[in-house]
Amino acid sequence: MRKLRAFWIRLRGLSRMDAANDDFAAEIESHVALHVDEGIRAGLSPVEARRQALIRLGGAEQTHQAQRERRTLPWLESLMQDTRYGIRTLRGSPSFTITAVLTLALGIGACTAIFSLVNAVLIRSLPYGDSGKLVYVYTPNPRYNLPAEMFGPAYGDLYDIKRQSRSFQSITAFDQSVSNLAAQGAAHRVSVARVDGDFFATFQVSPELGRAITAEDNQPGHDRVVILSHALSRSTFGSVTGVLHRQLVIDGKSYEIIGVMPESFEYPHFSDLPYGVPQYKTTQVWIPLALTPHDMAERDNSSGVAVARLKAGVSIAQAQSEVSAIMVRLDKLHDPQMQGWGALIENFVDSTVGHVRSLMWLLLDAVCMVLLIACGNAANLLLARAASRLRELGVRVALGAGRSRIIRQLLTEAVLIGLTAGAIGISFAYLFLRTLPHLDPGNIPRLNEASLDMRVLFFTVVVSLLTSVLTGILPAVAISKVNLTDFLASSGNRGVAGAHGRTQSALIVIESALVVVLLAGAGLLIRSYIKVESVDTGFSQSTVTASLQVSAIYRQPKQSAEFYRTFFARLSGLPGVKAVGGINALPLSNSETLNLFEVEGYANQKDQLVEGRWVTPQYFSAMTIPLVAGRFFTDADTSQTDDWVIVNQAFANRYFSNRNPLGGRVNTDDHHVKWSTIVGVIGDVRHSSLEESPAPQVYHPVSAAEDGYIAVRSTLSPEAMAAEIRSTLHSIDPDLAVAEIQTMGELESAASAQRRFQTSLLTVFAGIALFLALVGLYGLMAYSVSRRTREVGIRMALGAPRSAVVLLVLKKAVLLLALGLGGGLVASWFATRVIQSFLYNVSRHDPVTTASVCVLLAVCGLLAALIPARRAASIDPMEALRNE
Amino acid sequence: MGDKTDVWQGTLALMVLRTLESMGPQHGYGLARRIEQTSGDLLQLNYGTLYPALLKLEQEGYIKSSWGTSENNRKAKFYDLTKAGHRQLKRAAAEWEQTTAILARFLTPAEEA
Repeated sequence: MRKLRAFWIRLRGLSRMDAANDDFAAEIESHVALHVDEGIRAGLSPVEARRQALIRLGGAEQTHQAQRERRTLPWLESLMQDTRYGIRTLRGSPSFTITAVLTLALGIGACTAIFSLVNAVLIRSLPYGDSGKLVYVYTPNPRYNLPAEMFGPAYGDLYDIKRQSRSFQSITAFDQSVSNLAAQGAAHRVSVARVDGDFFATFQVSPELGRAITAEDNQPGHDRVVILSHALSRSTFGSVTGVLHRQLVIDGKSYEIIGVMPESFEYPHFSDLPYGVPQYKTTQVWIPLALTPHDMAERDNSSGVAVARLKAGVSIAQAQSEVSAIMVRLDKLHDPQMQGWGALIENFVDSTVGHVRSLMWLLLDAVCMVLLIACGNAANLLLARAASRLRELGVRVALGAGRSRIIRQLLTEAVLIGLTAGAIGISFAYLFLRTLPHLDPGNIPRLNEASLDMRVLFFTVVVSLLTSVLTGILPAVAISKVNLTDFLASSGNRGVAGAHGRTQSALIVIESALVVVLLAGAGLLIRSYIKVESVDTGFSQSTVTASLQVSAIYRQPKQSAEFYRTFFARLSGLPGVKAVGGINALPLSNSETLNLFEVEGYANQKDQLVEGRWVTPQYFSAMTIPLVAGRFFTDADTSQTDDWVIVNQAFANRYFSNRNPLGGRVNTDDHHVKWSTIVGVIGDVRHSSLEESPAPQVYHPVSAAEDGYIAVRSTLSPEAMAAEIRSTLHSIDPDLAVAEIQTMGELESAASAQRRFQTSLLTVFAGIALFLALVGLYGLMAYSVSRRTREVGIRMALGAPRSAVVLLVLKKAVLLLALGLGGGLVASWFATRVIQSFLYNVSRHDPVTTASVCVLLAVCGLLAALIPARRAASIDPMEALRNE
Repeated sequence: MGDKTDVWQGTLALMVLRTLESMGPQHGYGLARRIEQTSGDLLQLNYGTLYPALLKLEQEGYIKSSWGTSENNRKAKFYDLTKAGHRQLKRAAAEWEQTTAILARFLTPAEEA
């Protein structure tokens, strides 16, 4: 504490130097006087007494110096001096300062922006207690050759695992659905998580209001309770307080509100689960899962999602081996036809953010390169400035400034520039974060929570300081190599220019090489994006679609059939409507049904799976999916569901390669007994994603898809059609909510959103990098022209034409660009490996991209060099020579 | 600056505090002379080093200073112990005694052991 007190006094001492100096001078004077008095009393002459006194004091000046160092903080004092001096010199050359600061600010701003994103997505811990202890539990069955994450455990297995395992503190099962919520006189669709009694305990969260769902709430008959998300409570009731014990109607059943979750908890999010319900990004309502004894005995159907929390000290590998052993026992209880069930324990955090990790790293790599280019530019500016300041620095050395003091001074200036740039960079990052929601591709977890928190600010400060040192060290070293006093004696301005020029040129070459790498990366992504956008999806963009959940309200198939008959008839009767169809799962809606199947006359494999869709006869027409052979379904087909099927082109190609598929027979039931005849072949449609080539599909005829989608082709505008769908539905049943009214084009656009996100970000960064490198090249050329004014003057005086002068300057620029381009192409040959997994149908050594990058850099580079070249050509030789 | 000076500075501070305690308020020159006398003139102080030590003690709040007049009518800056200074003196003296006692055990001939 005493030390701290002394530190503050010394810090304060900095501002009171003069008064303290006077005071100490008086004290020393009085000391000497007292000493002299005594000397005289002892018989010395006054002169001798004074001499003795000063000797014993140890020199007045040294004493003053020692006192001064104790009074204040000497290092701080010289730092403040350097800073004051630095600010003065930087203000003295504003154009240099502004260029350097803005250059670095662009680099630091880009870094800060992306880091704030990485911080939100990867670094900040999830708000679920110790989220590192959370795991997903899957029970994959290798027999089906499907991703393990598709196999949520069957409840029978899960509750046996729960009883028999020792690895977990708690295990919870939940399921997702979309329901109709009727509240305040209107119906909307909400995303629902149906959770068991351990859900909230496993996630270690509790409601901000009310209580969590317990095991008692999961007893049949006690399950009419609901917890709302903060956002839903707000949007439905206008506030959070006062909603407890009110009633909500979900799918026609009344529920009592028992709690409201805090804003931070909206699990499960769409992006959390590899095969989640895609309609909603977050969960709005939690209700009890309320399993019946029958549900809890189910073994053969994957049921919901299972999340567990590991006990302290238990590793994932330990849990894995324990659950695997349990599953070996449980497997024997399964249908003998389907045995082979295993276990997979997956880190929760990795599953949540794993799929975006590589994208985040890619973006970070890109901004680091932008920052390096910015550093190169700033270093070049500082070098050029140091060269023009040699005289001033020489004078300072001649006056006794130490070399280290000169270097410190130059570094201080660099730090001033770096920190200012950091401050401006933060505001760039802020602007970026403001525009981020518009770029949100929807599948990056917690993207919209990105913010400038303390960690980001600390990062920015560190980056700014690093940047400063990186840019300041080159000029400082270059200066310390020059013998400044000699330089002063020669009173010359030349001689150092050569060495400097080489460093500066090398920096420009490196910058151009980095730009080539970035441009190549961005170019490859752009090419991929264009390819994805030009993919033939196989359906019409303008078809309007909507999602409906009717089964919860119309319990009887007859009721829902009746509803659909009315609904489709009313819609078809609207003017402008051409076709109205229904399907259980639309293309690009992230859901599919897989069936075991066999093809007659084909060497069928065991357990082969095919994707199945159930469509109404008008569906293909509504989606404009073309008929390749045979016929579409008719209304007559829908009454005998198992008799007829339509397959897609991919199916026909694969299983009927040398045969006519029409009239061929397939079965798609688990026991391979119900054979259906193929009546038509339709064109391929991109179903699972834009980037996967279409898989074989079998379409089954239905009169109405219960819970699914409708597709309407009409001459109306999408908005008008949406309004018609809503009002028609409302007039039939006001309790039914319709959601996601969108055109297939919008669905397609959402499917390519992440590609758009990464492509546009990388393109912007490459653009910034190119701009910076061009500014750097321009700067260097302009600088060297100004240095060579006399040489140019002489050449012109000796008869060199202006075009020769232009060529002289351009020649150097071309050399630098060529070296940069060459280095960059070599570097991108290796560096594009990072981007490999982001490409679609483009080789990472794509010649078109490479050629475009070369042309772009060459043209832009030459343009940037042309300006100083023309200035050189416009030099008046007489003027130039006279000035020297 | 080596370790010796550090020890020396520490002990100088202790000497200053002790001298101020026994003599009451004193100016720099008087303190220096008194320390020399107390040491039986074994110590030859470089008077200039006394002042940074005094400044440090003052910054740490162990002593306070004010201008006054000496017995032979010279204007001089007088130093005096603060309350914290009294406490610090007790603490530092005890520490010092302990240190010297320990050292003494090492330096006495090894017969007893």
